[in-house]
Amino acid sequence: MDKLTIQKELLKMFGPDRLLSDELDLMYYSYDSSFLTKLESTSPYAVVFPKSTEDVQQILRFAWANHVNVIPRGAGTGETGGCVAVEGGIVLDLSQWNQIVDIDQKNMQVVVRPGVIHAELNNELAKYNLFFPPDPGSSLMCTIGGMVANNASGLRAVKYGTTEQYVLGLEVVVPNGDVMITGGMKSRAIKNVSGLNLTKLMVGSEGVLGVITKIRLRCFPKPRARGIALAVFDNLDDAPATVLDVYQAGILPSGIEILDGSAIKAVNEFKPHIQLPDAEAILLFEVDGNPPSVEFEGNVIREMAGKRARSVEWSTDPQRMAKLWEGRSVTAAAASRVRPDGSRIFAGEDISVPLSRVADVLRAIRELGRKYGIQVVNYGHIGDGNVHTAPVINPENPEEVEKVLQLVDEIHLLAIEMEGTTTGEHGVGAVRRRYAPLEHGLAHEYMLKTKQAFDPKGIMNPGKLI
Amino acid sequence: MEFKELPPVKEQLMKCVRCGKCRSVCPVFSEIGNETVAPRGHVFMVQMLRDGIVAPEQKVYDHLTNCLMCETCSVNCPSGIDIHELNAAARSYIYEHNPNLAKDLIFDTMWTNPAYLKNVVRMIWGAQASGAQSLGRKLGLTKLLPGDMPKAEKILTDIPWRSARSQLPAVSPAIGKKKFTVGYFLGCATDLLNPEVAKATVAVLTRNGCEVVIPPGTKCCGLPQIANGKMSTAQRLAIDNIEAFQKYDFDYIITDCASCSSALAVKNMELLLGTTEYREQARAFSAKVMDLTYFLIHVLDIHPPANDKAPRVRVTYHDPCHLANAQGIKDEPRELLRRIPGVELVEMKDANRCCGGSGTFSLTHYDLSMQILDKKMENIGATGADLVATCCPSCMMQLRHGVSRQGLHARLVHPVQLLSQAYEDQD
Repeated sequence: MDKLTIQKELLKMFGPDRLLSDELDLMYYSYDSSFLTKLESTSPYAVVFPKSTEDVQQILRFAWANHVNVIPRGAGTGETGGCVAVEGGIVLDLSQWNQIVDIDQKNMQVVVRPGVIHAELNNELAKYNLFFPPDPGSSLMCTIGGMVANNASGLRAVKYGTTEQYVLGLEVVVPNGDVMITGGMKSRAIKNVSGLNLTKLMVGSEGVLGVITKIRLRCFPKPRARGIALAVFDNLDDAPATVLDVYQAGILPSGIEILDGSAIKAVNEFKPHIQLPDAEAILLFEVDGNPPSVEFEGNVIREMAGKRARSVEWSTDPQRMAKLWEGRSVTAAAASRVRPDGSRIFAGEDISVPLSRVADVLRAIRELGRKYGIQVVNYGHIGDGNVHTAPVINPENPEEVEKVLQLVDEIHLLAIEMEGTTTGEHGVGAVRRRYAPLEHGLAHEYMLKTKQAFDPKGIMNPGKLI
Repeated sequence: MEFKELPPVKEQLMKCVRCGKCRSVCPVFSEIGNETVAPRGHVFMVQMLRDGIVAPEQKVYDHLTNCLMCETCSVNCPSGIDIHELNAAARSYIYEHNPNLAKDLIFDTMWTNPAYLKNVVRMIWGAQASGAQSLGRKLGLTKLLPGDMPKAEKILTDIPWRSARSQLPAVSPAIGKKKFTVGYFLGCATDLLNPEVAKATVAVLTRNGCEVVIPPGTKCCGLPQIANGKMSTAQRLAIDNIEAFQKYDFDYIITDCASCSSALAVKNMELLLGTTEYREQARAFSAKVMDLTYFLIHVLDIHPPANDKAPRVRVTYHDPCHLANAQGIKDEPRELLRRIPGVELVEMKDANRCCGGSGTFSLTHYDLSMQILDKKMENIGATGADLVATCCPSCMMQLRHGVSRQGLHARLVHPVQLLSQAYEDQD
């Protein structure tokens, strides 16, 4: 079916207020945060704003009947091109469908529509003394639907894990327009091992199996106390070693973050008031729980970090903690500040490796940066081996672009070689799909078979994930 | 200068990583909710324009004007991009390819000539005083106005007959020992719509040892022109204003209007004249420009005399975007209010969120502007304040309209009016 006919049919279904079909409007849906979509942008055929499960069913029945691609999209904050119509199709902008359907305080769970913003959900849950622990850096703008589709996590995954651990059930519109409930049709159980676990299959499926239209999440009681330790290192290698020491001492912090020297510089350029110490690396440990346990764990971390660190600061003062944590949370975008005529790019930014290899990886990435003559800022969730690398280049210089693409490829291959993965939490999308056979071998073929079972016509988010 | 070579376009455009943080702070995005109005979307479209992927057509201009130029995105951008400057540059570039006679008449002729502007305002006064405005509404004649003006004309209420300039001397001597000679940049909206604010400004400054001079030949600060795609006109106005003030040896150039001070401040002057032969003059001029509340707190450090008999009044303060975002001035107006006897300052929720007025935005995008205003009024209403203080005539006009729409009883004031009153009460 040609684009104009698709637009006309959608106009009949949704009217002009819930549809974009003008060429100029559609261009705004040709990107997310990935470097890929800065290099090549593809506009969708149309953008629809669904507000009900029936809306989504209607679109999928139409798309199924006419072999039209469908691409679900949240806030477009992803870094993989996952929500972009790289092979054409209808984009479903689900970000306006943002109702919190039910907060079930007694059973400590919440039911939401896909467009709810992460920070807004936690603001609401806080009124019930609950929280949804996964904590992405994009909390202020990313949607829960997007988090589920990408199995996102963030700063506190060390202790609290990733989104998948909190998804109890889903409503999914499958490619032919049917509505499937996973996790039990009526279940509000927290533990549930009945049937094949389709919830886990859907979490992180990046929209290639269906459209997630309702999400039942488990919540945790909000911890009563929190503390942050800042450890400053003159030698980069001492930072990962300290992380292992802390674990060996029997402490599981809620988050352990690393910023290398260039990341520290970037943060201080962006927010001078934070005044991070000039060093080869810093570690930020966050512990939470009850006040005595926080104090105890803080003391142990101080002791362990003190063995190698130049200095260790421990704080439970809310203002100081906010300032220190802000230093980490702004790093992603502030990385550009290390080069006045450059910009950080989101590519090769999410490898995850075993804890024992983190120091090797950080060293190797530095070497790769030197090899290609590209400044690289490293930061990330060192507590779970998830390293965020930010190459800083002039993205409008073709030579630099060519070099950085080679650098990124080497980073991805390095991660696989080091018994890790190309992505710890951002997802595969269009940018890392080519590594799937190398990473998964025969399992990749079974992934393709699974996709075939759900979507034999291949209309759901083609060109992504597998 | 060629569009591609303009500093924000040349240096900042590539820095956008499209992280989307701007989506979480933009008042327009919060109402419309799709990517076509997200600030990063505007940055993207500027890039498309620069690269020739889209042509400088009116419909692109219309997309870019779904933006208040409130600068909230710019101050929150982790990559440090002045998104509003990119947007302004693109509007001007497109406008050059799509000139419009009516717009030229308004922004090049009428708004650049204080006498013409005054006559237009007097015509509106005449329409209101004679009942023609209200008769026009009843007969449906206002519907014949262009664009959103049939709805937006309601914002223009209580227009005064006499401008501030006609009521104030060109030179007002300092009372007591003279500390400073101050050039008063009397902006169009304060002059023509809020003369009481101007009178209060002069009264407070002279009382605190300033000789206040209102230089003849002062013109519009240029902000309306920047917002409406007339960057070259804004440049011309900036040069005229620099020349008007250069004739004097002022210690400071003070303005009570947030928009004017942001337009005359270093950053904006650099945008307008940073690559021209006027650069050094512009820098010297801007170095002296200061917002009134900042001047009163940090330079004069005024403390009105205590007055136990002062009536208690509950005041809430609205941050004008051009003061809070563009210049980072948030504490000074509040501190000033706290120092006024009888004032109880009550913070509203989201005091620094745009009111939706944004100069001409409420006139060109009335419905959207009202959606944004309604949220602001809800927050104002919740404070139970008797007075709403703010430092921008455009915000005052918009909030006054909001008060009337919601049937509230709060009155709009500039903090300097309360201060002036406090001094008068002591006399």
